[in-house]
Amino acid sequence: MSPLIQVKNVTKKYGGLTANNDISFDVSENEILSVIGPNGAGKSTLFKMISSFTPTTSGEVIYRGERISNLKPHIVARKGVVRTFQETTIFKSMTVRESVVVAQHLRAKASLAGYFWGSKTAQEDVSAFGKYADELLEFLGMSEISNEQASNLPQGSLRALGIAIGLATDPKVLLLDEPFAGMNHDETMNMVNLVRSVRDERGVTVMLVEHDMPAVMNISDRIVVLNFGEKIAEGTPSEIQNNEKVIEAYLGSVDDEIGM
Amino acid sequence: MLGFSSKQLIGVGVFLFVIFIGVPLVIGATGRWDFFFTLTSVALLAIASAGVWLTFYIGRINIGQGAFALIGAYVSAILVVKAGWSFWISLPAAGLFAAVVAVLIGLPILRLRGVYFAMITLVLTQVVTLTALALPITNGAKGISNIPLPSGLSIFGIPLIPDFGSMENTKLAFYLTACVLMVVTYAALYRLVNSRLGHLCRSMQQNEELASSIGVNIAYIRIVIFAISSFFGGIGGAMFGSIAQSVYPSTFVVADSVNFMLNCFLGGLGYVFGPMLGTLVLYFGWDLLFEIGKYQMLVYSMILIAVIRFLPNGLLSVRFGKGDKK
Amino acid sequence: MEQILANGVYLGSQYAMIALGLTLIFALMNVLNFAHGQMYVIGGFVTYTIYGQWGVPFVLALVMSCVTLAILGALIEKFLFAPVIKGSAREESTMLLAAGIAFFLDAVILLVFGEKQRGVPKIVDGVFNWDFRIIMPYDRILICMLAILSIVAFIGLMQYTKTGRALRALAQDRTAAQLMGVNVDRYSMIGFALGAMLAGLVGGLLVTITGVNLGMGGPTSIKAFMMVMIGGAGVISGAIWGGIILGFMEAIGLALLYQYGDITYLLIFVSLMIFLAIRPQGLMGKPWG
Repeated sequence: MSPLIQVKNVTKKYGGLTANNDISFDVSENEILSVIGPNGAGKSTLFKMISSFTPTTSGEVIYRGERISNLKPHIVARKGVVRTFQETTIFKSMTVRESVVVAQHLRAKASLAGYFWGSKTAQEDVSAFGKYADELLEFLGMSEISNEQASNLPQGSLRALGIAIGLATDPKVLLLDEPFAGMNHDETMNMVNLVRSVRDERGVTVMLVEHDMPAVMNISDRIVVLNFGEKIAEGTPSEIQNNEKVIEAYLGSVDDEIGM
Repeated sequence: MLGFSSKQLIGVGVFLFVIFIGVPLVIGATGRWDFFFTLTSVALLAIASAGVWLTFYIGRINIGQGAFALIGAYVSAILVVKAGWSFWISLPAAGLFAAVVAVLIGLPILRLRGVYFAMITLVLTQVVTLTALALPITNGAKGISNIPLPSGLSIFGIPLIPDFGSMENTKLAFYLTACVLMVVTYAALYRLVNSRLGHLCRSMQQNEELASSIGVNIAYIRIVIFAISSFFGGIGGAMFGSIAQSVYPSTFVVADSVNFMLNCFLGGLGYVFGPMLGTLVLYFGWDLLFEIGKYQMLVYSMILIAVIRFLPNGLLSVRFGKGDKK
Repeated sequence: MEQILANGVYLGSQYAMIALGLTLIFALMNVLNFAHGQMYVIGGFVTYTIYGQWGVPFVLALVMSCVTLAILGALIEKFLFAPVIKGSAREESTMLLAAGIAFFLDAVILLVFGEKQRGVPKIVDGVFNWDFRIIMPYDRILICMLAILSIVAFIGLMQYTKTGRALRALAQDRTAAQLMGVNVDRYSMIGFALGAMLAGLVGGLLVTITGVNLGMGGPTSIKAFMMVMIGGAGVISGAIWGGIILGFMEAIGLALLYQYGDITYLLIFVSLMIFLAIRPQGLMGKPWG
């Protein structure tokens, strides 16, 4: 079976700085793949290139045989590859439910004009969106806070909201940006279960960028390790744990957020 | 009906009754015919302000509405005077022309945010004024005067609008026309804000990155909104020119663009009907201060500064934060 | 050609000073000072009154223009901008306030100085004529030199004095500056006063050449906005480049397009739009959002 996403020789340079150098790996359908590495290893940049939030300097990203790099973010989202952000990037003055409803934009069948005049398709859309939003929030265990304004939510719920917004677009691939950052052990485990159920019950392929080692080892099918912008290893969690290059990269770095 | 509550419907009914029947009756009884002109101006400026408000809705501070009002006024005047069109056809043409200009200008400048967008739109107003002075078709500083009053309009022989030239009381006719336009504009704005396009605008206002990650074509929506906004500006300006029966490069200047912005801020950015209230308060305030002659500007600006100093979040800030409904 | 160059330098030096004041205020407080042009006009009227009406020496009048505007700027910052910035939920409120102040200053100018165009006696007579290749009155040359001198002095102040260092720290990062022990409130006021003073200084200089009138305020602000956008907002070198570029474009436009009427500004605006489409942060500005 051909891979769902192929990252091919992707390089990103900012002026003289190389953020990502010649990175290649594949993502298969229905897997959970994590990209890890010390701070400044170029994980976020890689994510931005996959979702076309920033262009590649060279190389390309292929999704189902189509190039998705160097396009516009909304086009990549329409193809089914959707990224989430860290918790500060939300619709601040919308409620949780409003956010999830608006994020279903891509599912709309009626045109913008149809909505303006209140056409029948548009009315059907509106009720379908509402129904799906309630269903999704129930699935994510967020029903109780569905009418809270986003800016009033605690950090943990904001993460979940970010994932809810991403899921509302009905993605095939969801890119999660540090979903466990700043969480305690229990919160992290809840989130791990949530991400897993997103994959198991909704058939969404998940890619995530993370610092939290135990969580990554727990959740991932496969792991890609970056260091100083280069890919230094790729494999299953147990392979990565015993990889000398990886251990060296982490021991050699001042950043000891790992808990191995 | 369209998801309105009965309370909202009553509110709208009262409002329509007041502007279409109440105001003419009161003015007729008191004999203050000059108020017709004031209120007509308020209605037209409120239309242009509605456009500015809409650009705020996608998170852009628009201080260029004077430019589009001036463009609208000139297009309508030129079509009526030089091409002999009926005013009623030149009116939408003026709006459309302003919208097309907005698309062309918007393509580069809508990428700018915050004060950068504010600055460039302000510059735009000045540039349109200078262009009107320079071009032959706009007659330079002399402008276009003696624009005929709107003629009648009939479709298939059924008269829809009577000939303004043959009327005894054009003040009332203009007032009613302006009010109809204003009501249509705000009804459209209300629908827009509460439909999907409005929700997408709101998502862009709050976070453009996140909006594009959920598949919103933000560049396209920005252009659409800016075009609609300028359409309102063009319509308001064209009608204004027709009432004044003349257009000069100074008909809408930088200060007008700033005033459109002030109307929106003062009325409150959270409310669709905010710009209407803001226009009414500011314009009426300005008009009432006419009595004090040369101190008009001084007192007006001092009140303005005081309001901003002590109510920095707008007149409606007492009710601020209740969302974007009425 | 030499003539255009000379005109460009002359215009550019004036413009750069106006843009410097605007960009300084913007960098420090994130305030777009709509009233900048009005401050320039007041500077012109003060010099007109003291030098033109009372016959006090020009240099003294110029100093008075600076002092007046510095005090005005400080008061406006302390009693209007500072409290509004603290109490407002949206940063746009300051824009509103600035617009209100622009109206207010216009009203004050109208009441105090009237709406007539005012001019002052020439400060030096005679015309410099280099073989009819460059013709420029001596007073323009003098004013141009004074402007360049002031810009150099301003840069020196920003680079080498304690105040300048504090202002630059403040412009870069407000919170960090505060942590470093910079008195933020005080230096915001000083910075605003300094920006206003620059506007007053140009007003005082230029009144000797173009005279001054009430209507000059708005258009001056608009030119200042254009320069700041060309160079990049909040950057000192950007303001200087913006001023020089606009000065040259205007000089070239007026020389070459004279017979086509007043389309120079239309062309400048169109080029500005194209330029911003390619480089939205301006020449020297940092990339953003």
